[in-house]
Amino acid sequence: MIGVLSYLVFFTTVAAILSIAVLGLNLQWGNTGLFNGGVVASFGAGAYGTLILGGPPQEGQLGGFELFYPLALFGGLLFAGGLAWMVGKLTLRLRHDYLAIATFGVAVAFENVMRNATNVTGGAQGIRGFERPMMETLGSGLTYNLAFLISVLVVLALVYVFLERLTVSPFGRLLRAIREDETAARSLGKAPARIRLLAFVTGSVIIGLAGALYGTFYAFVSPQDVLPILTFQIWAMLIVGGAGNNKGAIAGAFLIWGAWTFSGWALSRFAPIEVQLYTGSIQFVLIGMVIVGMLLWRPQGLFPERLVVSQPGGGTREKTQAEGLT
Amino acid sequence: MKKTLVFAAAAAGMTALSTGVQAQDCTTKVGAVLPTSVDWGRPIAEVAQFAVDQVNDAGGAAGCSIEMVLRDTQVDPKVGVDAAKALVDLEGIKVLLGAVSSGVSMPILTSVTVPSGVMQMSCCSSSTAFTVLSEEGKTDGLWFRTFATTSVQSAMGAKVAADKGWKSVAILYKNDDWGQDMSRLIAADFAAAGIEVKANVAINDAQPSYRAEVTEALGSQPDALYLALYPTEGKSAVREWISLGGTQNMILANSLKSDEFRDAVGMQYLGNAFGTDTASPRVESADAFKAAYTAKFGSEPNGPGLANSYDATMIALLAMEAAGADASGADIAAAVSKVTDPNGTPVTADTAGFTTAKETLSGGGTVMYQGATGNVRFDANGDVSAPAVVWKFTDAGTDEVEYLSLTEVDAYIASLKK
Repeated sequence: MIGVLSYLVFFTTVAAILSIAVLGLNLQWGNTGLFNGGVVASFGAGAYGTLILGGPPQEGQLGGFELFYPLALFGGLLFAGGLAWMVGKLTLRLRHDYLAIATFGVAVAFENVMRNATNVTGGAQGIRGFERPMMETLGSGLTYNLAFLISVLVVLALVYVFLERLTVSPFGRLLRAIREDETAARSLGKAPARIRLLAFVTGSVIIGLAGALYGTFYAFVSPQDVLPILTFQIWAMLIVGGAGNNKGAIAGAFLIWGAWTFSGWALSRFAPIEVQLYTGSIQFVLIGMVIVGMLLWRPQGLFPERLVVSQPGGGTREKTQAEGLT
Repeated sequence: MKKTLVFAAAAAGMTALSTGVQAQDCTTKVGAVLPTSVDWGRPIAEVAQFAVDQVNDAGGAAGCSIEMVLRDTQVDPKVGVDAAKALVDLEGIKVLLGAVSSGVSMPILTSVTVPSGVMQMSCCSSSTAFTVLSEEGKTDGLWFRTFATTSVQSAMGAKVAADKGWKSVAILYKNDDWGQDMSRLIAADFAAAGIEVKANVAINDAQPSYRAEVTEALGSQPDALYLALYPTEGKSAVREWISLGGTQNMILANSLKSDEFRDAVGMQYLGNAFGTDTASPRVESADAFKAAYTAKFGSEPNGPGLANSYDATMIALLAMEAAGADASGADIAAAVSKVTDPNGTPVTADTAGFTTAKETLSGGGTVMYQGATGNVRFDANGDVSAPAVVWKFTDAGTDEVEYLSLTEVDAYIASLKK
């Protein structure tokens, strides 16, 4: 029984961390229409930044500053934000698929830099030996994982509330205006370039936050954590959950990550012994089918975007799809 | 002789089908997290299951039959860590076999097995980071690996070049933790042996062509080429190397000891290619493993990590036997030294060997496991050293060129360090 609880705590922690990343992507894609194909670069920047600043010194390696954890975390976010600002400055004039290709390239370059800059990032071996905060007081068992889960959930709730308020605010309306028709937004005296950059950097910092928590939780990060597969996983979560809807983003993260891990568990438990060795491949097929099925039959996701009209007084009024935006 | 062995193995298999499984009415689970969705990962899992089957034929370990619960890592750290956590929490395992990639084994070690007190035994993770982590006291003695540290391989590579009189080399290495370690160590060993390293070039995975990398290495016109690659990248790189007129003097790491690589490159180009590997000892158990493997899978065990995976599984199960029923992960880890004791009773790596080990252990004795990779002996950090062999490809598989015992290997490594 305690085992099930312990596993559930572990699963929820990872799913909640991924939810934060999906929320960040939702701000970029769902609300602003920025096709970020390099989610993993921000994620990795957060993780690497935090572990380099907060980790113990390693021989022949920069870093190991052993900063107080919140400072290290802040540094990780700063690194993610700074990287996003640079990338955004260079690439945000690109549209849609071009932006996706450019950001994807940035992410691949990021992975390669992490893999080869051995003096800074530990190269392919990654950064190890990070001491998780509060480990001494709480021990390393279930209590610690439970405390960590609660902290992650608090962070998730804060990010969620922040994004919900942002979406219904005039700024959120501006993001959607840019998403729908940039020229129209410009004709109303808005500066789309600046706003797009702001949304991109904010989203990337949120993704970086997820990365920082991920690195902290595993006490390790290596180039294998920042492979393009993570970008696709996070995109799959957003698409299945529903782009443009924060609840959908969280639900998508839990569902896809749940399906990913549950299918592995179920196959290893129930599949006949001859099939056991092929469960990995079967799992890939199953997950692929879920995503294709979603795209075919429910392309708007499980939780479609709600159309929101923000009112001058700060109040909001929801409209149904049929009523449309006026 | 060979026929008798095969027959014996087959007969043992038959008996197992009829009686072996029913002999025990309880089941102990062990976990395995291996990259079964990757082509070279699946045989590693198959051979682990094979070892479990043999132990069950001998009546299981610690009074129960053994069930190996296998999970796929997809070579993704998140997936691997989750699988390991599920095995520990939901299946209640005390022994975890895996993973293959160091980038997956490491987060499993730091965030799952060490906090939960589960013993982790990897067949194939080679990163030197584990040794350092263990020296820092962060593995709680729960970490073992049967993959001889890269230093044995790199020293042998240098020895081959020195013996052949090759004065300069170019190195192509897989750009991951293992390859980076390899390239660093081999470059140092070549230098120590007085051989000039003219180029040291990284090969990234899954590229359609390696012409740029190969050209860079070729430009230095070395006497020989050192390859620390896996078969997939190795065959493309070597094909381009030879088609561009590179030398056929090659030194291969054990990862290239595969039929796939030989067939893709072609025997006619591999006449002067020498491989290095950690070796089987000169005992019957190694032959028994080869014979049993051939009988079971229809080919010789020529893939990366097969013998290591077999030994990892066997030693883990022997340690479970030695630790007795209801042992904790730490107890089992502590019992590893009892089954790899150089002064213990030698046991072979098969069903009969396991039965002997059971008898010896129940009498309070200790056991020296003679496995598919040699008389495995772990140091304080869970690392192994091993005898080494220099090999060549043949039409049917590989042939041994030279064998170095553990003492000779250690002496040669020491001579390089001077």
